Amino acid sequence: MASILNSESLARDARTTPSRRRTKGSHFGYLLIAPTMITLVVVGLVPFLYAIYISLHDVPYGRVGEFTGLSNYRALLWDGRFWHSVWVALVFVGIAVPIEFVLGMLGALVLNQKIKLRGVIVPMLFVPTMMAPIVVALLWKIMLAGSWGLISYNVLERLKIVSETSVFGSADLALYALILIDVWQWTPFMIIAFYAGLQALPLNPYRAAQVDGASPLQMFVRITLPLMMPLMAVMVLLRIIDAFKVFDTIFLLTGGGPGNATESPSMLGYKLVFEFWKLGEASAFAVIIWVLFFVFCNVFYQIAKNRLKAF
Amino acid sequence: MIGSVHWKFAAAASVLSTTLLMLTSGPVGAWSYKEAAQPYAGTTITILDEVTPLQEAMKKLVAKFTAETGIKVNYELLSHPEVISKGQADMLSGRGAYDAVMLHSPQMGLLLSAKVLRPIDTYLANSKLTNPDLDSADFIDPGSSTLAKFGANTYGFLTWNYNQVYWARGDLLNHPEEKAAFKAKYGYDLAPAATLEQMRDIAAFFTRAKGAKLAGETLSSDFYGIVLEGIRGGTTFWSVWNNFIRNWGGDLFDAEGKPTFDRPENVAAVQFWADLWKSSPPGQAEYSLIDVPTVMGNGIAAQTIAWSDFVLGIDTPKASKLHGKFVYAGIPPKVGQTARRQAETEPSLVAISTHSRAPEATYLFLQWMVDKATQKDLIGSLGGGVPVRNSSWGLPQIKDSPNASLFKAMSESLRHGYAKPRAAKLYEIADVAGAILQDIATGKITAAAGMKAAQEKVLGICQKCFLTAGN
Repeated sequence: MASILNSESLARDARTTPSRRRTKGSHFGYLLIAPTMITLVVVGLVPFLYAIYISLHDVPYGRVGEFTGLSNYRALLWDGRFWHSVWVALVFVGIAVPIEFVLGMLGALVLNQKIKLRGVIVPMLFVPTMMAPIVVALLWKIMLAGSWGLISYNVLERLKIVSETSVFGSADLALYALILIDVWQWTPFMIIAFYAGLQALPLNPYRAAQVDGASPLQMFVRITLPLMMPLMAVMVLLRIIDAFKVFDTIFLLTGGGPGNATESPSMLGYKLVFEFWKLGEASAFAVIIWVLFFVFCNVFYQIAKNRLKAF
Repeated sequence: MIGSVHWKFAAAASVLSTTLLMLTSGPVGAWSYKEAAQPYAGTTITILDEVTPLQEAMKKLVAKFTAETGIKVNYELLSHPEVISKGQADMLSGRGAYDAVMLHSPQMGLLLSAKVLRPIDTYLANSKLTNPDLDSADFIDPGSSTLAKFGANTYGFLTWNYNQVYWARGDLLNHPEEKAAFKAKYGYDLAPAATLEQMRDIAAFFTRAKGAKLAGETLSSDFYGIVLEGIRGGTTFWSVWNNFIRNWGGDLFDAEGKPTFDRPENVAAVQFWADLWKSSPPGQAEYSLIDVPTVMGNGIAAQTIAWSDFVLGIDTPKASKLHGKFVYAGIPPKVGQTARRQAETEPSLVAISTHSRAPEATYLFLQWMVDKATQKDLIGSLGGGVPVRNSSWGLPQIKDSPNASLFKAMSESLRHGYAKPRAAKLYEIADVAGAILQDIATGKITAAAGMKAAQEKVLGICQKCFLTAGN
């Protein structure tokens, strides 16, 4: 009897345990990710939904007032200043990110060779990225300030490269100077990221290619680039998002000027909130930027996945 | 008889004890912070103020107030933009983290219209809370009254009195060769500019290229006749408005607050200001209120209009090799406009939030900050400072200062310095107009076209921009 019971219970166990385990396991999994999900919802989704809510209202002095429909969106989308700020960001991203990408990859390839002082160079590359934005701005102010900046005074003005104006004082030059600062700050980060990626690549494909007589360029194009594609896609996407949001250096160095020459969306958004107290418009602004990025990121992901096989 | 002796003894004892009491504790009923603060002892208040050397010096004195009153003060200092953004956000949101917040006069319009400022009139009228020796008439006017009063209400005390002054290189203006050359060219004596037109002549006269002679020395780099603040988002807009446009007899608004940016006087004044840029260092469009004194201290320019509290930081033996060679004056008027002079000043107060949980204790602290004794201590600890009281001009640290001409200049500017009009959207207007002013100064558009564009844009922000008492 006991043995029958045992065999029956064993059989029942065998029938039920896997699903029960699966159920228990899936609950446990949800439990494990719950803190993260709750945090994400509280700090991400709730404020965003609230932003959508107040973007549909009049918000005098920060207090949600009458429902105004899409008037905040209309005000922004019909405002040339908003589109100008988007254009500034597009120019910024369009120039800075490709330069950072190319220089980052070149730097990583150089570092990946057995060069001297690599142990010193790699930690030093972290310095610009780790600097606080205020320090970066001050550093470049000392370099490029009109009349007394180190580079301005000794090089640009002395050699008449820049005359009658200064780098940050010229509507034609200020944005490019800000791009230069971004490249200076973030290229080392790209180098380090790509260098880490190169270090992690498997050696076997290279050995096989070597046996087949592939040239270094062929190996780079046929092996390195495809294997690095996921990392490159993520890095480019992150830099695009980050560069589009540029604020600190603009706030500290040009205030968005001369005129509106360097007014990025973040700078305009800051003014809408903290200077003009147009919280309804500022929320609409945030939603529009989010939608633009949502569309862009999706397109980027599809291209990276389907055409570049990055994911 | 015995009764009479007793009576006489009692009377004598009474007189004696009263005299002793008066001698030990001052006049009967004398007001003190200690007594006024008795009901609030143990209270903690939080005040948000701006960080400059003036407030840092005040922070060191705050312990005295706490020791005397038992009111604990969290005196938080933040940078200029943070005070504006964080302070306004706290008041407008109703969070009430701060009992009182430092406000620059352009902020008043927004906060008054939002009704988040607590008037102090009831406290002023309360003899238990207000020092009978407060002497409100001693606060420097017109800054004080145009700042603190609105309609029938008072919203605080003039606590900080930022002001711009004319600042020039005395060694150059007094150099015999330069004086002779200037007189030959312009027909009048070279001296600190007494008018804006003289300032322009001096600017043009001293603008020289590298290799030219300046005060008998060969210049190793270009030298400029004037340096002005030009950055967007700084105080350029306010300076152009008050130092130039108003001295030209113009204004950006009419009495009712309707924008009048494109008035001919305004265009002429802005054109004059933009022409000064031809005698300025390249890239002035990026110069902030900090760059201007730096340039002056480094000896690159002959004259400027600058904030006097920044001058105090530069005209010292440690900060500039030119210390002692500078001269100062109030903002020069335009020729023929002496009757209607104005100078860019920024009178500021610390206003009690309607959300303050301890308004009386906060009031006592704000009153203490501007008390004559505190101001004496403050000016003493700074070896100068920027007075908010007329009586402070007579203090030895100011009267006998080696920088006495700077304090005289401050006094002159402050005599013609007003708070900004109460307009809820003044910062938005300043932002729009500031960008256009930069475009005018850098030659992208003409003054006439720029001011016309400014008029249209500001009309898009508000038709009647000033707040009227009661609304």
